[in-house]
Amino acid sequence: MNILVIEDEPKAGNYLLNGLQELGYSVSLARDGVDGLHLALESAFDVIVLDVMMPKMDGWEVLRRLRKESDTPVLFLTARDDIADRIKGLELGADDYLVKPFSFAELVARLRTLTRRGPSREEEQLQIADLRINVLKRRVTRDQTRITLTNKEFALLHLFATHQGQVLSRSMIASRVWDMNFDSDTNVVDVAVRRLRLKIDDPFTLKLIHSVRGIGYQFDTQA
Amino acid sequence: MSLARPSLTLRLALIFALLAFLCLACLGVALYQGLERELIRRDDAALISRVEQMRSFLSDSNTVELIKSKPALFQNMLGNREAILSIGVPGQPQLLTVNPGHLRMPPVTATALNQPLALDDVRHVQQIDGVPFAFVSAAFSSSELGTVQILAGRLMTERTAVLAGYRLRVYLLATAAALLLALCGCLLVHRGLLPLRRLARHAHGIGVGNLADRLDSQDAPRELMPMIDAFNTMLERLSRGFVQLGQVSTDMAHELRTPINNLLGETQVALQQDRTLENYQTLLASNVEELERLARMLDNMLFLARTDPASALSQRQELSAADETERMADYFEGLAADAGMLISTQGDGLIWAEPMLLRRAIANLCSNAIKYGAPDTELLIQVLASPDGTTLAVQNQGMTIAPEHLARLFERFYRVDESRQRSTESNGLGLSIVATIMRLHNGRYGVTSEQGLTRFEIFFPARSAAG
Repeated sequence: MNILVIEDEPKAGNYLLNGLQELGYSVSLARDGVDGLHLALESAFDVIVLDVMMPKMDGWEVLRRLRKESDTPVLFLTARDDIADRIKGLELGADDYLVKPFSFAELVARLRTLTRRGPSREEEQLQIADLRINVLKRRVTRDQTRITLTNKEFALLHLFATHQGQVLSRSMIASRVWDMNFDSDTNVVDVAVRRLRLKIDDPFTLKLIHSVRGIGYQFDTQA
Repeated sequence: MSLARPSLTLRLALIFALLAFLCLACLGVALYQGLERELIRRDDAALISRVEQMRSFLSDSNTVELIKSKPALFQNMLGNREAILSIGVPGQPQLLTVNPGHLRMPPVTATALNQPLALDDVRHVQQIDGVPFAFVSAAFSSSELGTVQILAGRLMTERTAVLAGYRLRVYLLATAAALLLALCGCLLVHRGLLPLRRLARHAHGIGVGNLADRLDSQDAPRELMPMIDAFNTMLERLSRGFVQLGQVSTDMAHELRTPINNLLGETQVALQQDRTLENYQTLLASNVEELERLARMLDNMLFLARTDPASALSQRQELSAADETERMADYFEGLAADAGMLISTQGDGLIWAEPMLLRRAIANLCSNAIKYGAPDTELLIQVLASPDGTTLAVQNQGMTIAPEHLARLFERFYRVDESRQRSTESNGLGLSIVATIMRLHNGRYGVTSEQGLTRFEIFFPARSAAG
């Protein structure tokens, strides 16, 4: 995946560059709006991460000019948690936004969603190592053992299984599984994951759910 | 002083002056008219008496002779250049004409013979220069001359002058009185507004530093009391708001201090010497935890500061209360089970609310209830629908909250236990967010705590009632 990051703040630019490169993406970094727009029009990117507050040319202007010639997906970053701001961005043709401070895992997840081409086909049958999930029948077995899950446990497991290898943040899990789109002060997600682990992982030697410290959880066959 | 904002003093002075002038002028005009009428009556009476006099003169034959032989005697008889007198017999030359002022003689009108004269018989005309001229004519039969006609008239120059002088005096007096009253008005208004100016000076001196100051109502006129009271109440509210705001800032700074201190301390200690990779990872993970807490607090503070009811209320939907409580029960199931609590839901109804805000409010109440609920008890989420709205109650069993805390629970950063077992999951803003959400919805919120049963209630007005 080819990503263009337009961000004037040095530290933010650097960590976005490093972080995304480490995940195996090819990343270009522009330090201001003029360069960013130039790069965006010059070469083809799969997705653009655009900071709104920038000197010389702000993100809105970049977006406005970019949209005249290209419809590369744009995710904008804003420090202002203002409904008017978000609406403005989306009206100008942005595809998604994140409010600073945001979690890096969240950004990655959003970028993946933006670049996924076409609607993803819902798998009927998922298999990860010896874990089998029948999505339609909501039946889960591991090593031929039937595992009974509650609705939410199943939803959580399904989320993990469809995002294998990705680190999922707690807020993303809360949003996808319970439709709770705000950071609550509770550790509901941790508790739910622990309960899921009791059923999915604890009786078996191969662990599938891994805690990624400080970020969230990852579902993978290797730690 | 612009036209749009006229001075009260000026306006009152002008009104005073106008009223004074009008009153005095009316009075003057009334008196003037009385005087004028009286003068006219007297003049007319004088004319009549002159004619009567002449009549009695003429009945004496000597007088007629005298007139005929020595008319000059009579020329001066009137002693006035403005009076005229003519005596004649119709069809013959005038017997006597006295007209020293050479005034235009009015035509002699025929009158009935020997009629006694009345005031009504006096006729008034205007001379060319506008001076009134009064005359009366009479006819009578004389033994010597037969029918005699007498005409007596008088130009009222003197009367006109007297009246003009009188008029002028009336106007002058009225004007002087008007000016005097205008001045008095100015002074009175100025004096009357003194307390207002004093208040303004006082109000001017009240700033953020001395918000506790109140306007002095002593010596203030009764009319100003409502304003002073209103102003003082406003100051009261402002000062309370300021204190609260200051308190919130202070509290927030204190709340920020702990995570920042942790971040700073842990990181500095870690950098003191080389450490294993695992140490660094632990440190960074711990930093992330603290930073996430800071971000959450920031998010909450912003949420509380952003009181934009319009945008929140425009997104209201009619939601099924049972769906929402079910969702909450689902969400908190694990957490509650960990705490040994069981969540049960009850009731249904429609809630007219912004979904995200509603969920946030219930979630805050539920996490609170789980935090303070006793193990092996029930957490009840109850829906009570009524025609004017829907009440959501979240009830847990545990410690009774003392009444002095109850009222303040919804304040920002307020915690029942001063020792503040500051845990990662509490930042003291949860309930104040509930309060803000309910205010945004024009709803109500409240809490009761009795005999180990603590119950939070939030009320959403029905769609029709909420407007």
